[in-house]
Amino acid sequence: MLRSSAFRIGQALVTLWVTSVLVWALLLLAPGDPARTVLAARGVADPPPALIAATRRQLGLSGPVVPRYWHWLERAIHGDFGTSWQTGRPVMEEFAARLPATARLTLTAMLTAVTLALVLGLASAAAAGTWIDGVIRTVTVLMVVIPGFLIGLFVLDILVVHLNLGRIVSDGSWSTVGWPAATLAIGAAACWARVLRVSVLEARSASYLLVSQARGASALRRLFVHVLPNAVAPFLTVVGLGAAALLGGAPIVETVYSWPGVGQYTVQAIDARDLPVVVTYTMLAVATYIVASLLIDLALAAIDPRLRRQRARRTRQRPVRVAT
Amino acid sequence: MTAVVPAAGGVPGVDVAPPAGLLRTLSRHWGFRVGALLAVMLAALAVIGPLLAHGPNVTDYANQLASPGAQHWLGTDGAGRDEFARTVAGARTTLGAAVVVFALTTVIGITVGTAAGFLGGIFDAWVSRLIDLLLGLPSLVLALAVVGVLGPGFSHLILAMTLTGWAGLAKVSRSYTIGARQRPDVTAARMAGIRTARIFTGHVLPGAAVQALIAATLGLSDTILGLAGLSFLGLGVQPPAAEWGSMLNDSQLYDTVAPWLVIGPGLGIIVAVTAATLISDALRDCTDPSRA
Repeated sequence: MLRSSAFRIGQALVTLWVTSVLVWALLLLAPGDPARTVLAARGVADPPPALIAATRRQLGLSGPVVPRYWHWLERAIHGDFGTSWQTGRPVMEEFAARLPATARLTLTAMLTAVTLALVLGLASAAAAGTWIDGVIRTVTVLMVVIPGFLIGLFVLDILVVHLNLGRIVSDGSWSTVGWPAATLAIGAAACWARVLRVSVLEARSASYLLVSQARGASALRRLFVHVLPNAVAPFLTVVGLGAAALLGGAPIVETVYSWPGVGQYTVQAIDARDLPVVVTYTMLAVATYIVASLLIDLALAAIDPRLRRQRARRTRQRPVRVAT
Repeated sequence: MTAVVPAAGGVPGVDVAPPAGLLRTLSRHWGFRVGALLAVMLAALAVIGPLLAHGPNVTDYANQLASPGAQHWLGTDGAGRDEFARTVAGARTTLGAAVVVFALTTVIGITVGTAAGFLGGIFDAWVSRLIDLLLGLPSLVLALAVVGVLGPGFSHLILAMTLTGWAGLAKVSRSYTIGARQRPDVTAARMAGIRTARIFTGHVLPGAAVQALIAATLGLSDTILGLAGLSFLGLGVQPPAAEWGSMLNDSQLYDTVAPWLVIGPGLGIIVAVTAATLISDALRDCTDPSRA
């Protein structure tokens, strides 16, 4: 268990490092001279070559790529992702100011989505084949096909502007998180509910369940001891990865509602070609995703003894003991 | 290509019903029927739409933000452009982009996947590592990073969706190829002295291609949603070209005076994603034995 966990953590670190290399490879392909872009953004329309060279040095863009990359990596490990080309302030400061708002949005959305998914998925599986199941399945398909920004526009246009059903204030606080979080949650909830329904149905059709029923186990015992532990693994996986993927969906929902989080900030930075911000957002989002999938793997290994044994068997083969 | 590939089992989880049988099963699935009908309707609208409407970029400043009526079925936008014409043009843009991404990802996926599976060795080891790495990263974040670094633009958006989309298809066709290498018909062909290239094109490639195409269809709704979402953020199609996501973005400027501007592009996205979802659900029902 300990050894496989250490292996898995090392793998996650390698993934993170390769991602940073990939992002830097992309940076080499970026069109245009960043120094000119930055100077143009600062209002210098036709800069002299000396000024361009000075700006390049100031942005840390002069010199060969590989040492520049190592320098960046060394500082990034220490939490310093450079300065924003737009404002000249440290990128991490800008992110730190906006992370709480995004965390509030994502957390609320995740809790909402898990609750909704549990209710819809379990009800649908319990009533499999009946009209209730049919209604829930239709509703979840609708929830999947309508993208978040469309829901957001509907809420803003129809409910708020035309029907006057309340006001939307997006100041990033807990009290105003409702609508954006609900918007972000709907797609994920539908997706998770569909996975939960299938895995519960699959676990319910297993033959050991028939055996335990024949041996007189109660319905509750069958549900809690046999069905749910077996159905929870796929659900836990999609929820964990989905929670991190919510961070990927956050830019869209944050932009619709003008929610002052890192997603909206990054979208604005992309428009302004502020590359350090884009790189930082990518690394943070990928790191969150990798940490989430790492935690899921460790949790699954804790729940499912098969996953632990598989690894142990491969690393150390025990001699078969013959009873004498 | 005269060799007949037997529909033999033996490699669990890899074989599917042959395409002809699959199409017949699919055509009986009600979800597939509805999805295919919607898809055909959208495609027809994209093809014949320009005959029905004025040009998508014809501005008419005397008629800004006109409400829906006989002359402008879905009203006009802030520059007096006919919203119906732009929705139809948006169908061409979005569906066209989805088709391009679909084609690029399947071609790359099949090429890389079958090559890795068939050649094996170091090439396979490194390719598999790259595939697993890409699959372990959130695709929307990656697409945002590609567009963010290269700059907003439609070709960059398509590149981003392709770079993040091919890995899953490569994985599927690679595992099919590895399974196929041990199949009796491939062994028999090799013993009969048939050239490796011929075995590959006759016995391995068709099945791997079907697998990758199925997987690509399953991902189609995510592609459409991704294209529309990133365009909505202003990172895809640049004005004045019409695209559903960017039209919705424009409509936000006028949400108090012209809420109907949401109708055309919004319905377009919903219909397109519904069609893709219904078709992929049906495909999953018909190809995944555990869900039959």
